[in-house]
Amino acid sequence: MTDTITQGVTVTKTGEKGAFGGELLTVNFGPHHPSTHGVLRLIVDLDGEQVRSLKPVIGYLHTGIEKQMEALRWQQGVTVTDRHDYLSPPINNLAYALAVEKLMGVVVPPRADALRVIMSELTRLSSHLVWMGTSGLELGAMSMLMYCFRERDTILDMNEEISGFRMHTSYIRPGGVMADATPRFLEMLDRFIHDMPGHVDEYENLLTNNPIWRSRTIGIGRLSAEDAKVLGATGPMLRGSGVAWDLRRSIPYSGYENYDFEIATSDMCDCYGRYLVRIKEMREAVKILRQALDRLPDGPVNVDDRKMLPPPREELETSMEAVIHHFKLFTEGYSVPPGDVYVAVESGRGENGCYVVSDGTHKPRRVKFRSASFVNLQALEQMSLNHMIADMVAIIGTADTVLGDCDR
Amino acid sequence: MISEPLIVEQGVSAGDHWVTVGSGSIRDALAELKKDGFTLLVFLTCVDHLADSSRQWPARYELVYELRNLEKPEQIRVRAFIDGDPPHIDSVHDLFPPANWEERETYDMFGIIFNDHPDLSRILMPDDWVGHPLRRDYPVGGEVVEFSEEHETWQTPPEKA
Repeated sequence: MTDTITQGVTVTKTGEKGAFGGELLTVNFGPHHPSTHGVLRLIVDLDGEQVRSLKPVIGYLHTGIEKQMEALRWQQGVTVTDRHDYLSPPINNLAYALAVEKLMGVVVPPRADALRVIMSELTRLSSHLVWMGTSGLELGAMSMLMYCFRERDTILDMNEEISGFRMHTSYIRPGGVMADATPRFLEMLDRFIHDMPGHVDEYENLLTNNPIWRSRTIGIGRLSAEDAKVLGATGPMLRGSGVAWDLRRSIPYSGYENYDFEIATSDMCDCYGRYLVRIKEMREAVKILRQALDRLPDGPVNVDDRKMLPPPREELETSMEAVIHHFKLFTEGYSVPPGDVYVAVESGRGENGCYVVSDGTHKPRRVKFRSASFVNLQALEQMSLNHMIADMVAIIGTADTVLGDCDR
Repeated sequence: MISEPLIVEQGVSAGDHWVTVGSGSIRDALAELKKDGFTLLVFLTCVDHLADSSRQWPARYELVYELRNLEKPEQIRVRAFIDGDPPHIDSVHDLFPPANWEERETYDMFGIIFNDHPDLSRILMPDDWVGHPLRRDYPVGGEVVEFSEEHETWQTPPEKA
C-alpha cells in the first residue's frame, strides 16, 4: 500500500551552483539544537550562509495524544489535554471543556467563566514570558531570561495555589472548574496585576530600543498580510502582519465580549513586529485580568448536574442518591449525545481548537486538536528564504512554535 | 455556497453548520466555498466510524474540512465519506496551502491516500512505521517498549539467552 508513496526526505539541492560562485550545501539543523524550542529538525540548503530552501521535519515529540483520548472517559481526557501545548495547559483545557459543554448543551455559571478568563490570561502571560526569555537568550540578550522567568514563577505559584499543580493544572474541566479560587489566590493575583505593568516596562527598557535586538529582528522574517492569511497563520504571527484577527473578539467565548481590550497588531510584518504584538498583548492581558478580578461574580463554579460532576464530599455521608451518583460517575463516567463540534480559543500561539466527535458512549469517538504551532510552522520556509542561517534562529523564535503542540 | 447538485445532506450539529458532499466532488465543493469568501481551512481531519452504532454511516472513513470566512466571521464544515483499501480522495493542497501538512498527517494516521499530493509521506510517525495509529482497529500500546523486559530478551545475544 505504501509502495506508491515517497518515503522520507530525499530532495536536496547539494551540488547545485550558488549565486556566490560556490556550490549549495545541505545542512541538517536539529533536532537536538537549543534554538529549535523542542525537537524540530530542519533540512536547509545553504548558499554560503544564505538559506535557499528549508524543509521542517517534525514528529519527534509525537505522543499519540489523540489516540489516548479515545481510550479515556470524557472527564479523564482533561489531564491529557494539558500536555500537548505544555506552555498553555489551561487554554488547552478550555478548548476541550467548551467543546464537550457545547455538545452536551451545558452552560457554566458566570463565576466559572470569569475564573476561566483569569486562568487563560495568566497562561497567555506565562507563555509570552517564556517566549521572550528564550528568544532574548538566543539573540544575545541573556538577562531577559532571568527577568522573564521571575514573573513566570509568580504565575506558576498562583497555578499551584488555585489548582495544586504548577504546570499541568487540569483546572478547567467540562462543567466548570476544579475548585473555587482561594482568598490567597485573589490576593496574589491582585498584587501581580499591580506589579506586572512595571515589569513589562522593564522588558521594554531592555529590548525595544536595544540596538542588537533591533538589528537582529527588524526586517527579518517578513511575512506579508496576504501570505499570512493564505498560509493559515494565526495568533501573533497573523497580528504581527497587521491583520486584526483575534478569536476573543471575532468569535467570543467564556464572556470575552464583556471585557474591554484592544487587539494588538503591528504593520511591520517582521520579527520585531511580532515582538511588539506580544508586548502589547501582555499589557492587554493585565487589563483583562484587572477587569475580571474587579467584577468577579459570586456564586457556584460548577454546573449543578450530578450526572456530570461528582456531589460535594459532605453529601456523600448523608445521601444514598449522592453515593450512587458518585459511584456511577467514577466507574462508568457520563455519556455525551452523538454529534460533533468544533470550538476554537485564542492561545498565546494562535488558534487552539478542539474538534470532538461523540458516538453517544462514555468515551470520545475522536478528538482532534487543531494546533496553532502545526499550521504556523508551515510558514517558516516562506519567512526564512534568502536570510542568513543565524537569522533563521530569530525566525524560529518569533514563530513561537511549541513542538509538543505541533506533534501532539 | 455549495451548488445544489453537489450536496448529499446538510444540517446543524451543536450549532455548527455542516454539508456532506460526494467524495468525488470535494474539490469542486471547496473551490466554490473558497470563491464565496471561505478562504481559511481551519483544519482537515478524518473520523474512523468502524463499529460505530450511533447511526447508519455511508462509509467507514469520514473526511472533515472546516472552513472559515474571516470577513463575516462564519464557519462551515464539509464532510465526505470514503471507503476502500486504501481509501482515496483528491488533495486540496493547491486550493488551501495549510492542507499540505494536514493531508500528510491524515495519511500518516489513517492511511487515506490524497491523489496528486506533492509529497505524501509520514509526518508524525517515523518513516518506517507500519500501520496507521488512529484507525480504530489499531491497538493502544501495541509495540515493544524500549528498555522494557521484552526488549531486553529481544536484545540479548543467543548464547546468553
